[in-house]
Amino acid sequence: MTNWPAFTPEIYYVAVAAVFLVLSMVRADHRRDYQTAVVLSALGVGITLASTGITADLFFGSYRVDIFSQVFKVLLACGFFLVVVLCSELSGVERRLHPEFYLLLTTSTLALMLLVSSVHLLTVYVSLELSSYSLYVLVYLRKNQPQRERTVVHYFLIGASASAVMVFGIALLYGSTRTMYLAEMARILPAVISQPAAAVGFVMTLAGFFFKLAVFPFHFWAPGVYEGSANQLTAYIATASKVAAIALLVRLTALGDASAPLAHALVMLSIVTMTVGNVSAIVQKDLKRLLAYSSVAHAGYVLIGVLSMNPAGYAAAIFYSATLLTLKFTCFMVVVRVAADGANITVEQLAGLHRRSPVLALALMLALFGLCGIPPTIGFVGKLLVFTAAMERGYFTLVLIAMINVVISLYYYLLVLKAAYLTEPAPDLPPLAVTVGDKVLAGALIVVITVFGFYPAPLIQIARSAAAVLL
Amino acid sequence: MPTVYADIPILSGILLVCLAGLFLILATPAEKAARIKKISAVSSGLTLAAAVYLFFAYDRGIGGMQFAEKIPWIPSLGISYFNAVDGFSLPMLLLTGIVFFTGVLTMWELTERVKEFFALVFLLVLGVYGLFMSLDLFFIFVWYDVSLFPMYLLIAVWGSTRKEYGAMKLTLYLLAGSALILPALLYLVFVSGLNTFDLLQLMAPGTFTPAQQRFAFLLFYIGFGILAGVWPLHTWSPVGHVAAPTAVSMIHAGVLMKIGAFGVLRVGIFLCPEGWRHWAELMALLATVGIVYGVFAGLRQTDLKYVIGYSSVSHMGIVGLGLSTVTVDGLNGAVYQMFAHGIMTALFFSAVGYIYDKTHTKAIAELGGLSRTMPRASAYFIVAALTGVGVPCLASFWGELVVFISSFKVYPLYGTLAVAALAVGALFILRVVQKTCYGPENEKWANLPDVSPGLAVPRMILVSVIVLFGLFPSLLFDLIRTASMPLMAGLP
Repeated sequence: MTNWPAFTPEIYYVAVAAVFLVLSMVRADHRRDYQTAVVLSALGVGITLASTGITADLFFGSYRVDIFSQVFKVLLACGFFLVVVLCSELSGVERRLHPEFYLLLTTSTLALMLLVSSVHLLTVYVSLELSSYSLYVLVYLRKNQPQRERTVVHYFLIGASASAVMVFGIALLYGSTRTMYLAEMARILPAVISQPAAAVGFVMTLAGFFFKLAVFPFHFWAPGVYEGSANQLTAYIATASKVAAIALLVRLTALGDASAPLAHALVMLSIVTMTVGNVSAIVQKDLKRLLAYSSVAHAGYVLIGVLSMNPAGYAAAIFYSATLLTLKFTCFMVVVRVAADGANITVEQLAGLHRRSPVLALALMLALFGLCGIPPTIGFVGKLLVFTAAMERGYFTLVLIAMINVVISLYYYLLVLKAAYLTEPAPDLPPLAVTVGDKVLAGALIVVITVFGFYPAPLIQIARSAAAVLL
Repeated sequence: MPTVYADIPILSGILLVCLAGLFLILATPAEKAARIKKISAVSSGLTLAAAVYLFFAYDRGIGGMQFAEKIPWIPSLGISYFNAVDGFSLPMLLLTGIVFFTGVLTMWELTERVKEFFALVFLLVLGVYGLFMSLDLFFIFVWYDVSLFPMYLLIAVWGSTRKEYGAMKLTLYLLAGSALILPALLYLVFVSGLNTFDLLQLMAPGTFTPAQQRFAFLLFYIGFGILAGVWPLHTWSPVGHVAAPTAVSMIHAGVLMKIGAFGVLRVGIFLCPEGWRHWAELMALLATVGIVYGVFAGLRQTDLKYVIGYSSVSHMGIVGLGLSTVTVDGLNGAVYQMFAHGIMTALFFSAVGYIYDKTHTKAIAELGGLSRTMPRASAYFIVAALTGVGVPCLASFWGELVVFISSFKVYPLYGTLAVAALAVGALFILRVVQKTCYGPENEKWANLPDVSPGLAVPRMILVSVIVLFGLFPSLLFDLIRTASMPLMAGLP
């Protein structure tokens, strides 16, 4: 007997997708589409929030609704809502395609929601693919992007390879454990993880999420896709999509039971990922490419929490995903607002932001310091939790390397800050079209970044209780 | 050591005043520069008043930690909001108050982006105050970084002379320091097994093995040492000081570098006394090299601010030498020197800042005969110079004297070298004074106005503090002793 109320958020997003499907068939009106999307996505946040207390097993135990999944669903719904709010102009996509844009964004969010509740490897795989395919099409919707075919094919090929690796990994895991259910696997896997087939299968299964999170060596798509997608879509890929990937990495790694070879492999991946990301980001001129490499670096930091394989580490990774959502979204909000015509912007084009919109400049500054992990921002708490978890396991060198990476990253964040705060705007630039709503949103982000940076205890508590159900 | 809790949270009050000042400034429209300056002056004056009150209200008979406030902050990690002051931190709070207040007054004539400037200065000082009063490792680290991150903009926007380079170098160096501090903090918290960031609990003898202490102390020493300008990690400091605007130079050289030395003391020495003993010899060596190097590098400078920048390296070397003796006297002298040097450099930078504002040059060769065109401005400069040289009856004298006496006992060679270097240092400072204030007058500056009464206020405050503590050193020494004696007595 299926407990349907537990499934309400997902059903709701199916309905939203249906609404946009209908809208895509009638005459396009981008104001109407935007307003519908904002209202529906805001309602979605409310519905997911209302469903946080529910615990249920659905569909023959392959789908689990618990505090862990619901916390992530709230984050996803918030991410979706925030990205939709940014779409008031959506000039990077042709107007007649706006309903399709919202439709695919909704299906992708739906897929990510399914993903965070999946506790059966096949549901995991199917949800992951649903979200990826939505994104492939979304990337292609960017207008005036001569290389978009190349970008999409590149993205698709790397994504398909990652999926192939993942399916192979799932097959190997099934071969070793004779089950697809994560709960059963958690019971069997510790006994067999020392077998090469199980260990290799396990790491390969993680590959799908390494791809989503842009962990080395599956990160090559990130700069191209970030640059080639509509700005709002990039914001979505950098926020919601990462959040779900972190959720699943945590959920799957919790099965691994701290086996040494696995942890070593993840340590290496983490170090390489953050170093590659940070070093490559230094030379970027395009702001979105820079943020893409910074995402790669952050994937490395998140892995530190995941590979600690202790409750503190999982809680840290969960907290970190919320952190990334806030900080990256703030950066992309600035990108979207500064690039009013929907084009890409270089770091230099931020020039004089402190005069053109002081509140956006302040938000950007805090977000950059947050990404760098400097207190008193929420980003620092994220890093602190991750490092604390790693230190609990005795990974002193790893923490030291991560801190050195933080110093490297400060350099390019400061370059962005310098453009926004030090240089004067070109005289012929039009004033920024920042509405009251934008100012309120930026103000709210500033408050979230600093207040939870100073007093993170409630959020940490939520992350801990979400992590507790995994074990 | 007893811990006395406060009835009225004065320490948090100081932080709240800074925070309130910050928000008031942010809420004031940018055009109302005069109002912003008034808000800044009043709030910084309030914090100074609180610091002075604490300085005299601290019960020296009881000693230990007083005016303590403790609230659990993140219970799951053992983090608490824990503030208190002792004989080490009180002089630092007083120093911060004085430099903050006078720094704000010094910038009274600022016209460029006034609102942002004062907002950032308040953020910076918030971090500094917080660090000096915090006894929780988490908050110490947070405040450390809060005080660092406004620096980049403060220097890069309002500075001069290769300001972007200076700002970037400074920020990266100081963050590199925190990259060593954070892992070391977490390391200690975890090996202790106490699940607490409370410094007083962690410093109980026997919490850490000697090997752990040696390891962590080295990281703290390098990490905080970067900020204290320890040779060879000092290179950010002259460049940054030269590039920074006057008030920021004052706060930076006057207070922020003290954070480094204070961090070595509060975190390194308090938690890892074994490590302190083990690395003392190295500290003494580096400190002596710093003293000698600062003096000789200063000799070659042609820019006034570089001269002061290098003299700071040298004077902070004296602090390091005092700490490295592992004696009560060495600690007393080091903390005294931290205070005296802070006031002295603040005066130095404010005097040079005035000269630069009027002449738009810091090149020693272009100045000359200022004592006739700007008698008051050069008087401040000369007082600062004499303090730096260590003339008796001025504050620095006592700090340097006590440090040298104790270092002669422990490290005769280094002590001799340091004193010899200081003699050379006196020579070079006096030479600079001679070239800028005396000698042939430069016609270009003949008609420049001298320091106005309003702008004289902050400088006069600094001068009187220097003289006060030069004449009555026991005011401060008695206080520092209440912290240094129990610390040394508690050593295994």
